[in-house]
Amino acid sequence: MAHPSARTMSSAEQSRMVRVNRISSRSDLFPRLIAMQKLADAHGFAIFRVSGSGIPAKQRLVCELENWGSSNAGFGKAFTDAYGDVLLEHIEKSLLPLSWAGGCDRAAPGPADFAPFMTRLQDGIVPFSGLAFPVRLGAVGNGFIVFTGDEIDPSSDTIVELHGRCCHIMMDLLSLDERRTAAAEALSEREIACLQLAGDGRISEEIADKLGLSVHTVNAYLGSATIKLDSVNRIQAIAKAIRLGYIS
Amino acid sequence: MDMDVIQASKGERQMSNFASAVVPDLLPRDQLLQRLHGVANTGRLQSGLRALTEYVGASHYLLARCDLLQESGLDFIVSSDWPFDLVRDIANDLVRGYARSTELEKCMQVFQPNFALMPDNADVPDGASRQYCSVTFNVGRSRLALMFLFGEGFILSPERLRDVGLLAGYVASFLRCGGTRVDRDFELTDRELECLFWIAEGKTSDEIAMILGISRNTINNYITSVMRKTATKTRSEAIAFAVRNNLV
Repeated sequence: MAHPSARTMSSAEQSRMVRVNRISSRSDLFPRLIAMQKLADAHGFAIFRVSGSGIPAKQRLVCELENWGSSNAGFGKAFTDAYGDVLLEHIEKSLLPLSWAGGCDRAAPGPADFAPFMTRLQDGIVPFSGLAFPVRLGAVGNGFIVFTGDEIDPSSDTIVELHGRCCHIMMDLLSLDERRTAAAEALSEREIACLQLAGDGRISEEIADKLGLSVHTVNAYLGSATIKLDSVNRIQAIAKAIRLGYIS
Repeated sequence: MDMDVIQASKGERQMSNFASAVVPDLLPRDQLLQRLHGVANTGRLQSGLRALTEYVGASHYLLARCDLLQESGLDFIVSSDWPFDLVRDIANDLVRGYARSTELEKCMQVFQPNFALMPDNADVPDGASRQYCSVTFNVGRSRLALMFLFGEGFILSPERLRDVGLLAGYVASFLRCGGTRVDRDFELTDRELECLFWIAEGKTSDEIAMILGISRNTINNYITSVMRKTATKTRSEAIAFAVRNNLV
């Protein structure tokens, strides 16, 4: 939240400064994920993000990064088939980590004293045990980081440490996306102004009046913004502009 | 740790709040987890928040639902032991501050400690700093902020604040105080939400009629009904409203 004050920086300034120091490519995330995998005694990791915002029925988990390797090529699909729906439902209401066992004869990761804060998934559906950490950032960037392996047995303290680092990774991933879209589709000030007013319910004539332009110019700005935002019409452009933070 | 790198880039004013020195008389994390484990058994949110407050070395806590801030009144407060007058004094500042940053900025601020000053006319408890600290986190669709008052000159550890954001999320998830999806839906029906979703994806009424297998006029009726319920004037504004409120 931004708390206006003369002596503290606005949140916009802060986040801009924070982002300067963020990573420049996805490969920078790999060593950090490997370190976390080691900390968890896991054999592999994967990042799944929730795609298709909005209506739960339209959402699904998309694998963004994993190191399961070619010998385990089917892991991602097996995992989303088995737990995808449960995980999507979980992230709609909870921040608690989840665990499951790869077979009924094996124990699910997570110490007994952490039990109230761990959600158990049904065991034995997939051939590997694991831990999934939900990260919910807001309207965008939500997902799970998953660690798999049969030797995973972290302490409560390690679980919290891993979860904290997972949140950081998801934020870095989001900041990478943002930079990519920003580079390809830098909107001009006029385009942003027109989009903002259109999103506030103004029709083209009112926008033209307000900005001192002709209606045709306003429509042209909205049209070029629509193209830059890779949208088919101005309504989709407004929706995207809000999600990407161009307008509020 | 990543946190240090990020903190280092923040301005002077911010730096003054952060010192990496661990304050020796504060509880270690594994003991905090044990305490929260006990809290989970009793189901008392206040004791959980008190434990978290003591973990960072702060004196008072306030847990707020940021997503309810736009509504008038103090409904947004979930639990607090701040003096009541102080809560009322900062409520306006919070509402204004919250409206000022975009959704993307809010996503990038999750678990990042944010410091701000009380309004000049506010009365803080004896010995407390005029600065307060807030950490935001999400539980499902609700964005919550945990805000702390702390002693004048006391230095809060950024690592501990990050832990607290996550663990407050655990406690809130466990006690289900994030609120359910229902109270954010503005009494829109499933069909209306479905139409909104497709419009935000850039579909026209004709296309949506095809997708949903109902007539174009029915779709237009749904949208008119949405605009009435959300008090919006145009289709664009209705979509902007839906995106801002995470309905689609």
